Amino acid sequence: MSFILPLFVFSLSIPLVVAVVAVGVGNRSWGNILVQLLMIFGGVTGFIASTLFLFGGGDSSIVSGLLSFPAPLDAWFAIDTLRAFFLLFVYAGMMLTSLYSLGYLPKYRGVYSLPALNAALALFVFGMGATIMSASIFSFLLFWKVMSVSAYFLVIADRSAESLSAGFSYFLMTHIGFVSLLAGFLLLSGGNVFASFLSIAASAAGLSSFVRATAFFLLFIGFGSKAGLVPLHQWLPYAHPQAPSNASALMSGVMLKVALFGFIQSLFLFSEIPLWWSCVVMAVGLVSAFFGVLHAAVESDVKRLLAWSSIENMGLLFSALGGIGIIGSLPLGLGAQPLIGALAFFVALHAVNHFLFKSGLFMAAGAVVSETHTRDLDQLGGLAQKWPLFSAAFLALSLAASALPPFGAFYGEWAYLQTLVAAIGSGITALAVPAGVALSLISLISGLAIFTFAKAFSSIFLGRARTNHAENVGHLHWALVTPVVLTAVASLATGLVAVPLGSLIAGATSTGDWSASLAPLPRASINPLVVLLIVMLTLTLAFVASRIFGAPRIRRTDTWDCGQPLTRRMEYTATGFAAPIRFFFKSIVLAEKRMTATPIIASNPWIASRSLEWKVSSFWERALYEPLGKLMLRVADVIKHLQSGVVQFYLLLVFATLVVVMSTAL
Amino acid sequence: MWKLLSKIITTGTVTEPAPALEADFQIVGENIRNAVHTLYGGRSLRIRHVDAGSTNGEEYELTALGNAYYDIERFGISFVASPRHADVLTVSGPVTRNMEHALRTAYEMMPEPRIVVALGDGAIDGGIWKGSYAVVGGVRDVIPVDIEIPGDPPSPFDVLRGLLSAIAAARS
Amino acid sequence: MTLIFSFAQAAFIVLLAPGMVGFVRTLKARFQNRRGAPILLPYWSLLSLFRKEMTITRNSSWIFHAVPFVVFASALTLAFLIPTLGYSGGHLGDIFLVGAIMALGSVFLVFGGMDTASAFGNMGSSREMTLSALVEPALYVSLGTLAIIAGAPNLESILERFSSASALDILPIAALSLFALFLVFLSENARYPVDNPATHLELTMVHEAMVLEYSGAYLALLEYASAIKLTVLFAFLMDLVVPFGIVHLPFTPLTLLVACVALLGKLVLAALLVAFVESTIVKMRFYRMQEFMSLGFIVAFAGLLLALIFGRPL
Repeated sequence: MSFILPLFVFSLSIPLVVAVVAVGVGNRSWGNILVQLLMIFGGVTGFIASTLFLFGGGDSSIVSGLLSFPAPLDAWFAIDTLRAFFLLFVYAGMMLTSLYSLGYLPKYRGVYSLPALNAALALFVFGMGATIMSASIFSFLLFWKVMSVSAYFLVIADRSAESLSAGFSYFLMTHIGFVSLLAGFLLLSGGNVFASFLSIAASAAGLSSFVRATAFFLLFIGFGSKAGLVPLHQWLPYAHPQAPSNASALMSGVMLKVALFGFIQSLFLFSEIPLWWSCVVMAVGLVSAFFGVLHAAVESDVKRLLAWSSIENMGLLFSALGGIGIIGSLPLGLGAQPLIGALAFFVALHAVNHFLFKSGLFMAAGAVVSETHTRDLDQLGGLAQKWPLFSAAFLALSLAASALPPFGAFYGEWAYLQTLVAAIGSGITALAVPAGVALSLISLISGLAIFTFAKAFSSIFLGRARTNHAENVGHLHWALVTPVVLTAVASLATGLVAVPLGSLIAGATSTGDWSASLAPLPRASINPLVVLLIVMLTLTLAFVASRIFGAPRIRRTDTWDCGQPLTRRMEYTATGFAAPIRFFFKSIVLAEKRMTATPIIASNPWIASRSLEWKVSSFWERALYEPLGKLMLRVADVIKHLQSGVVQFYLLLVFATLVVVMSTAL
Repeated sequence: MWKLLSKIITTGTVTEPAPALEADFQIVGENIRNAVHTLYGGRSLRIRHVDAGSTNGEEYELTALGNAYYDIERFGISFVASPRHADVLTVSGPVTRNMEHALRTAYEMMPEPRIVVALGDGAIDGGIWKGSYAVVGGVRDVIPVDIEIPGDPPSPFDVLRGLLSAIAAARS
Repeated sequence: MTLIFSFAQAAFIVLLAPGMVGFVRTLKARFQNRRGAPILLPYWSLLSLFRKEMTITRNSSWIFHAVPFVVFASALTLAFLIPTLGYSGGHLGDIFLVGAIMALGSVFLVFGGMDTASAFGNMGSSREMTLSALVEPALYVSLGTLAIIAGAPNLESILERFSSASALDILPIAALSLFALFLVFLSENARYPVDNPATHLELTMVHEAMVLEYSGAYLALLEYASAIKLTVLFAFLMDLVVPFGIVHLPFTPLTLLVACVALLGKLVLAALLVAFVESTIVKMRFYRMQEFMSLGFIVAFAGLLLALIFGRPL
């Protein structure tokens, strides 16, 4: 398999070439086509290389199976099973979004500067790929930075005030994350910034438990802030939607997976993980998932809704990682193996599925926005009549995002829930208590996820268009539809191959009995094929039942209106649809409604024009960010007094600082 | 709750016997015959009621049909919430100009086979409002009518007798 | 053999389902001192609907046509997955699969209500979606508890455990979970106090509001689906509460006959229970539903604790 390595190097360097080409070709109309074709080419080679490595390696353990690079590169890059698995996301994302960009970007020639945007996109993809391939702290942090900074330029690509403010909060958060990553890694490596991950894993064992705990939580904060975990999630629902939709798809679909990868990789740096670390990770994950999905359920901006749902899914993934840690730190002996296997299966499968449905949905949302010119769900509707195929793909992706059968995400969540039931049933307090809480929360989360995507799908596609924009849409470019359909088909396919794939990832031996190796509880088994067969069979029966008396005669009429002709303003909007959830969770989502009445005639206050203004604010915004901001301002007020304007005084301060540095450094 | 239950038990069934049918019920057209035939002899009939401008007298009597004394459900007849679910459209009152559209759409939305019942004198020909500028006329001036049940308003028994006689006549 | 058994079981439930709805309706009429509709009325209604024409709104898309099939198929799948007559060792009814299939049916029903451009359907959809989202914790926690008691996470094993000789020992432990399940099933089947199945007032509707725009064969499919769901869910619940006459492989014609008669008896009990509940309590205001759902969840969680403390761990 000697040709795999050149393939990896080739696919890694293609985006760099593209970045140059993109600037070189300028605004020419064939330039975009050339750039995207090159990107697709790079994506295909990278995808093939990763697949070959994963399935041809023959070694299914996670961090061994290293593919070492030749001499100058070996300090920088390495490939192993975990890396190859996560590279799949990068290159699949690169393929899909570049295909999409063929149809998408030309529509926005006036809004974005295409050469700059394409170059930023290429650098972004390069940064993600290189981050995952990194073998040492230095290269990891360097490429992490490349990824983060190019993502910043993607967020502010349309240079609107909203984008700039979202970009600013993203920039701030990504730096907080970066600093804590740097600190965490340096603590582990003993200050050696060029240490490779393999050497850190060996040296970190000798550190004191306090240093290790500090390093762990610094890394958790660093990766968690990128993954949008509560309370460091505030930037994500504003930054991801502001980017162009092909970039949003990459950010939510792939960049979050890079954060997940980073965290999983750092877990291997610690020889043992105490119970309480894992409990914290799990709790933070669950809380993030809950807040994410709750805000997604009440959100009316289609892209922001998807971003909130990303927080939910990343929360679930991190909580499962916490769960693995909890099980691993308890003395369960061999009994722990199936539980850990099932959770690892969930993490792998859900990462794949979240990539598929989230990038698919972001691209679909982008396609809808490009035709209707609004992201507001309240102004869409009726598109299923215009775009039947596209709506079917969106429906499939929505069902996948709701974790409903027969889509892959369901089988992942199934494994997670089964593990939780098994953990509760074990009767071990340290296992049963978190599992019991998790089972209750995750079932609520999955219920709300169904709500969210039922709302999203029905407000965009069903009923009647709510505005002229949505009424008069044209045909969709094939390049906009194809990637969406592809992701929809793929998320259905992951459902069918879920269990065999899972046994591969969970490290099960190839005994052929893949359902047993995944069953955390005795007889907990599910066969996707049987499920699909039953569904098909019952659908056929339903069809037969409707034809007992021959094909039904159909007469088209208007919607029943009780005699009062309906207008499209009478339909439920997405905001109205979510009203019960807003009401039931009002102490958490903090919806504020304000009705302002301005009298038309000064003498009569009853005849007034009224306008309704309302916003949903986050619990964290109010409980954490606002007080923190106020505190910072107050501290700044105090520090301000140092600004005396006297040069000698400043020099005195510098001198004092130098003395302090001297006394600590020597 | 126990008080309620004991009341239920001591009261027993209070439903009155079914009315004697009119043997010589004549007004049966081809449409209703066909409808009753298709719908398995009218074993299950769902009614959608439209008040096209009545005094609400008819509505009082219709409401009474659902109570324990008249209990229209025992004949397999029930009221439904949408014209799309209905087999029978009952209309009361003269059709006012404001309700003409509502009546037409309700009729249009009913899937065939469908039966239209004009309930009360107003619905048959406009009754005491006949010729008024606010009234289009009887129901038959707007949509085809199959059964006419006279009375102002017809009593619940009249309605039951009319309906059941028409069905029985159509069935034979 | 297991497959044939599952089919036979599903067919039995599917045949009985409209009768169950008719029986509940008749019982409710008796509670109102009325004579009530004949028990067989739902069969005639369905047959009539199948023969009728369909009128469909112009504002609907292909989804509107897909909805009745998916909803009916999800109900059929439930009848196929959930053991009612007995268990055959197929272990098809995984608890989370069953929950997800129920949710799938609800989601499509919601789409049906949304694809009409009518505020009635939209309102029903919004409410139904809220209810089925909020009911999940109680459903999964109580099913999980039963799985822990039975030692395996599928409904067949649960039924097997409950119908075994020592069933009387576990009934008290499982009582709270079964009660929570009862509350969940009331909500899932749009019964009191969550929804009024007989209402004509659009503003109080949940389930009915979503199907207002359907007619003819589609309406028949939807009504049939809800009848099947009601029957199969309550049959399973009563199987656990009164674990009598449950067959398993290998069975003789006699035990099968006993099982069928026993199931009929259990359905009569379930109908009595539902009719009793519906005649003695009132429907709750929709905006108080979170109280009902929280109650369901707390009962389910208490049931979990009870099972963990008194039940035997795996």
